[in-house]
Amino acid sequence: MIKIQSLTKRYGELIAADDISFEVNPGEIFGLLGPNGAGKSTTINCLSGLLKPTSGDISINGHAVIGDGVAAKKHLGLVPQDLALYEDLSGRENLNFWGQAYGLSGPALNKRIDQVLAQVGLTDRQKDRVETYSGGMKRRLNFACAILHQPKALLLDEPTVGVDPQSRVHLLNSVRTLKEQGAAVIYTSHYMEEVEQLCDRIAIIDKGAIIAQGSIATLRKQMGEKDLIELKGNFSSIDVEVLKEYDVQEWKDNQVQFWCEHAASKLSEILQLFKDCDIKETSVKQANLESLFIKLTGRALRD
Amino acid sequence: MNRTTMTIARHAVLRTWREKWGLISWLVIPMMLVFLMSLMSGGGSSPKPHGKVLVTDLDQSVLSQFLIGSIGQGPTAEFFTVKAVSKSEGQRLMDAGEASAWLMIEKNFMDDYLNKKPTIIRLRKNPAQTVLPNMVETGMEVMVDAADYLQMLFADELQRINKMVISGKYDDADLVALTLAIKRAIDDIESTLTPPQIKLEKYINLVEENQNKPRFNFALLMFPGAVFMSLLFAAMSMSMAFWDDKANGILPRLAVTPHGLRDYFIGKTAHAKAMFLITSLILMAIGVWYFEVDVTLLPLLIIWLVFSGVVIWQVLLFFSLLMPSRKSANIVVNAAMLPLAMLGGSFFPAETMAEGLAKLGSFLPNGMLLKAIKDVMVRGEPWQNALLWPFIIGLLVAMILWFINLRMVNRLAREARS
Repeated sequence: MIKIQSLTKRYGELIAADDISFEVNPGEIFGLLGPNGAGKSTTINCLSGLLKPTSGDISINGHAVIGDGVAAKKHLGLVPQDLALYEDLSGRENLNFWGQAYGLSGPALNKRIDQVLAQVGLTDRQKDRVETYSGGMKRRLNFACAILHQPKALLLDEPTVGVDPQSRVHLLNSVRTLKEQGAAVIYTSHYMEEVEQLCDRIAIIDKGAIIAQGSIATLRKQMGEKDLIELKGNFSSIDVEVLKEYDVQEWKDNQVQFWCEHAASKLSEILQLFKDCDIKETSVKQANLESLFIKLTGRALRD
Repeated sequence: MNRTTMTIARHAVLRTWREKWGLISWLVIPMMLVFLMSLMSGGGSSPKPHGKVLVTDLDQSVLSQFLIGSIGQGPTAEFFTVKAVSKSEGQRLMDAGEASAWLMIEKNFMDDYLNKKPTIIRLRKNPAQTVLPNMVETGMEVMVDAADYLQMLFADELQRINKMVISGKYDDADLVALTLAIKRAIDDIESTLTPPQIKLEKYINLVEENQNKPRFNFALLMFPGAVFMSLLFAAMSMSMAFWDDKANGILPRLAVTPHGLRDYFIGKTAHAKAMFLITSLILMAIGVWYFEVDVTLLPLLIIWLVFSGVVIWQVLLFFSLLMPSRKSANIVVNAAMLPLAMLGGSFFPAETMAEGLAKLGSFLPNGMLLKAIKDVMVRGEPWQNALLWPFIIGLLVAMILWFINLRMVNRLAREARS
């Protein structure tokens, strides 16, 4: 449904996207993860036709985004990270606007508006101006605008930023519904737990390139199910050799991160190694997507 | 226009309509300026000065009545009301300062005149007034001179008329003889009074041309400029709307819809035309009602105003989109407004500017388009002559800028998503 092959985007010497390839099938949610500036936005902008790639092919439902853009875009829905709504229009008027922008009209449009309003739980507030909505309601409306025309491919760019728990549940359930209806979904988020719950496969992008791709289970296996231990204290007086049995992620005078299998059972033994280091804080991150992300990129997702 | 462009235009009009104060300010501020400027300059539409001339006719003859009647008729009637008064009442009213001048025609005025005896018309002026009493004095001097010449030329004929009047007998033969005598006298002096190089038809043409000219006053001169100021305000506001659409995320999201930003820009152009049409209709209604704008010119004027609005909008939009941020665009567009309005003739009519500045203003897009409409609206020039070149130049400018601006809107959308 969504196919990207060898996508490269250069700005002079800077390579914003470097030979990126992946496919998203109907009824699949694909997570796209990466720290800020990694190349996610460039990939999404190329995919939505806003940017022209330097090289590579992108197609949506068999239509090339460059060359057959109108047909490709008919099958695409975009939920941008920033709200894209007219605050001085009502929720229904906004939906009417975006529905017509995607070629819907008349009774069919009105019926779809009623459906999506019910889906995102805004039927009661449809006639109120958007400026009177809460942040979560605006996010839900923003989402509703993108699915009015029942796209076969949907790009969700951090759709739950700043959203209250109630709206988050609404949105995530809506995404699952779209998946069940056969849409191919690309989902980017800083919230790892969301991605773990929602996505069937993920790709981790860093410095313009995909550094890991596959299902979460596969990626965990690649990482070896290790936990990440983080210690804060004074490590200037001891040598990194003390951790020769472990896989060190980061070593600083005031902070140490390393990977360890079954960390909970070995924690007291480890702390003995650092007994003279004035340990102030100890944390153990169990093997999850976030620890995987840190292992691969050397950075937390929010960095 | 397809459905998308119609939708964009319709929603933009709806949003402008909901933000009524913006629309009202486009209309009210320029109109207020015209009224204020008009008042400051004495008011082109304010009533003309009007005075009262008192007349005491002690002679009560045909000639004295003719003289009094001549003051209260023709062009002088616009300035004076003639009131017949007795000598004592005239004295009282003048002492009270309630009249501009007082004429007193002595008894036997007509007899003395026809018998070539010295006669006197007394004129007393109101010292508190300057213009109106002097107008009466000048008018009377002209009449006295004319009467002198008539006496010199038609002394015998006047004498015969006098006899007829006194006797009350108007014999046909006498009248024919009198008519022939007057005709002969006129023929004799024709070569002196009407030099052959001055042709009557030329005179008639001039009179007709003057009659065809519309009433030319300061307020009417200011009005087209004020209309253009409204167009400038509207164009400025609409040129900044693109930055708003960038900020609220509409622009980048529309860029990924099937028809993209081209339809958006066509829709915005349709919105601009609709707003200029609404503005023009309201202002021209005021023009017809208050400034006596010729109703038959309305369709042409409204089309021209919409066209001018689009040209001005494209120019301001170009400056706005050329800037790297909304803030700088706002500064530049606001900064451009003042010289455009000042030099383009919206604050002060080009007719009141120094020649160099007026010339410079006519090269500005709004100045050029304003001058063209003024030529039609105020000076009564044929519209084909007045509008042709400004239309061609304006159309070229608008078309070129339309394509450049569309490219810049695309760039704006890309920036918003990066």
